[in-house]
Amino acid sequence: MNISPEIWTWLSALLTLFIFSFLYGDNPLYRFAEHLYVGVSVGYTIAITWHNFFYPDLIVPLFKEGKVIYIIPLLLGVLYLSIFFPKVSWLMRIPMGFVLGYGSGVAIPAILQANVIKQIQGSLLTPAILQRTDLLLWGIISLIGVISTIIYFFFSWEQRGAIKSIAGLGIIFLMVGFGASFGYTVMARVSLLLGRVQFLLRDWLGVIR
Amino acid sequence: MSRSLPLAICFIMGLLMVIQFFIPHPLSQSFFDLTLKWIRIIAAFALILGVRSVSLRHYEQIKRKKGEWGFSVVTLITLIATAIIGLVFGVGAKSYLRLIFSNVLVPLGATMFSILAFYMASAAYRAFRARTKEATLLLIASFIVMLGMVPIGTALHPKLSDLAEWLLSVPNMAAKRGIMFGVALGVIATSLKIILGIERGWLGGKR
Amino acid sequence: MNFWERIGKIDRRFIFLVMAVAIILPLIRPLGLVGRVGKRTQELFKAIDGLKEGSYLFISIDFDPQSMPELYPMYLSILRHAFSRNLRVIVSGLWITGVGLGEEGLKTVAPEYNKTYGKDYVFLGWKPGITAVVLGIGRSMKETFPTDYYGTPYDSLPIFQGDITYKDIPFMISLSAGLPGYETWIAYAQTRFGIRVGAGVTAVSAADAYPYLSTGQLTGLLGGMKAAAEYEFLIEKAGMTSAFKPASQLMDSQSLAHLIIIILVLIGNISYFALRRKR
Repeated sequence: MNISPEIWTWLSALLTLFIFSFLYGDNPLYRFAEHLYVGVSVGYTIAITWHNFFYPDLIVPLFKEGKVIYIIPLLLGVLYLSIFFPKVSWLMRIPMGFVLGYGSGVAIPAILQANVIKQIQGSLLTPAILQRTDLLLWGIISLIGVISTIIYFFFSWEQRGAIKSIAGLGIIFLMVGFGASFGYTVMARVSLLLGRVQFLLRDWLGVIR
Repeated sequence: MSRSLPLAICFIMGLLMVIQFFIPHPLSQSFFDLTLKWIRIIAAFALILGVRSVSLRHYEQIKRKKGEWGFSVVTLITLIATAIIGLVFGVGAKSYLRLIFSNVLVPLGATMFSILAFYMASAAYRAFRARTKEATLLLIASFIVMLGMVPIGTALHPKLSDLAEWLLSVPNMAAKRGIMFGVALGVIATSLKIILGIERGWLGGKR
Repeated sequence: MNFWERIGKIDRRFIFLVMAVAIILPLIRPLGLVGRVGKRTQELFKAIDGLKEGSYLFISIDFDPQSMPELYPMYLSILRHAFSRNLRVIVSGLWITGVGLGEEGLKTVAPEYNKTYGKDYVFLGWKPGITAVVLGIGRSMKETFPTDYYGTPYDSLPIFQGDITYKDIPFMISLSAGLPGYETWIAYAQTRFGIRVGAGVTAVSAADAYPYLSTGQLTGLLGGMKAAAEYEFLIEKAGMTSAFKPASQLMDSQSLAHLIIIILVLIGNISYFALRRKR
């Protein structure tokens, strides 16, 4: 055992154990750590936003370099602060409209291209796929899977007869997909725990190298 | 005015951003560049709302001495202290903010979700039942991935990892693609509704 | 309570204890289980390995400390790979609380390869706006990041020879724990500007990435800590590093934990069906 003499390592270990104490039951140590986390992360966000953005990208160009055009987005941004004054709080909707309109507008062609058109292209059986038996077989299975999954989610039609059978096939593919996701989720949660145990045993207690 | 002006701005911006995607003319590109710059600035101010929301909630708890208001004091004090330390002393390589990040934020954040592993093991044991054919299929698929994607799978059978990879690349991929279509069309529909003013929830209250 | 009832109602504290033992024991006494390097990890490795010396590699830190155990080892390994190939590394991020991790990784790995800040690598930090940042880089890196994380003006950084965009960056990697993440880079950066995207993701979202792999929108994928361990193995095997491999050390524990969970689920089901049959 080679316990770390560093005070910061001890602080990290202590905070880690405070969170782990929740396994025994909800308790003041856990609550303290939880609230500390919220406070520190918001404070950190404020500091980073100022140093990484407000100062170099707004204050400097507007007030030091004299780029007057920046006044417009500054004023639009300041309108968000109208939330503090109930009588004029509706002004907040102006920058919101600007941002939402922008966000929705750029999303439409991007999502259509990346998540619809490209995915349709990926589902098609191209000449390259037709040349290999294994690729052809997997390609056909995938195509059937995609179509049956989409039909399962199509609730505008009553699901009976042929539609019900295809939707039933879709459920099979969905169950495999969710099973794969669950398996991976187990891996993820265990990995997060392992990371912290490694820190405690290696960096704090020095039990492992 | 309080509702029609923001809706009009939303409509104009949305329409222009969609059209802009298809127009390579220098004027269109200049407008695009200007919009991107402005959006970054406006988005930063929106963060102030988030900070306000957190601060106000904890301040109200302290003011009314409601519930665990003592912990709310911890939140507010650490929020203010961290912000001041970061603003005054900077974000450099040897800054105090970096120390706070590495020794407070990282262990707390990293540990927060790690306790889920225990609860997940307990929940899987108690609730994961192969009651139906579909549930059994889900169970089998999850076992294949859980074993195939770690070294013990290769130790149990050399082809297990290949089976897991096939399962992920073919049936799982097909299902996820089907879901992706649905989600993508939903996002596009919602975006259109926002631009056209059909979706007005973001406007908030009556006035 | 008969036997079947008893095994179906094991106290959860006992389960916690079994999990704890399953995790700690292999760390103290390794089992020595050997895995295989997956196809998707190899794809990402080859993509980076195939870049010409001196090319830019853009890494986006799209995760926070909550996902650190899975994604941070990936980040370190990718940096080691990039530096040993003498690539010019640009690091930024879409998650504000991931900024510190981005910096820490560079501070850990760069000295191992005698890399100089500003010349061989640069840390640009974080900017608000998400899609505005992703799209902005496609128009002008200088306009999007007029300074680096430390406030040094763009033009003072020798790594940048003039204003660059995605056209100058042959490959980028997003290390994502959710949205915004690799999907954002694919939808906005790749769709409009055509940049090649690789990804390292938490295991939770690894299964969801396969449609993008199938279409070629993603070039290579590191899914979870296992993939991080595979990448550590690949770079060590290629002689690029002899550094400690944090993810690899945990693979025995990961394997045993998975086995325990499977056994617990099977026990629960056996108990359920035995009792159902009895009734």
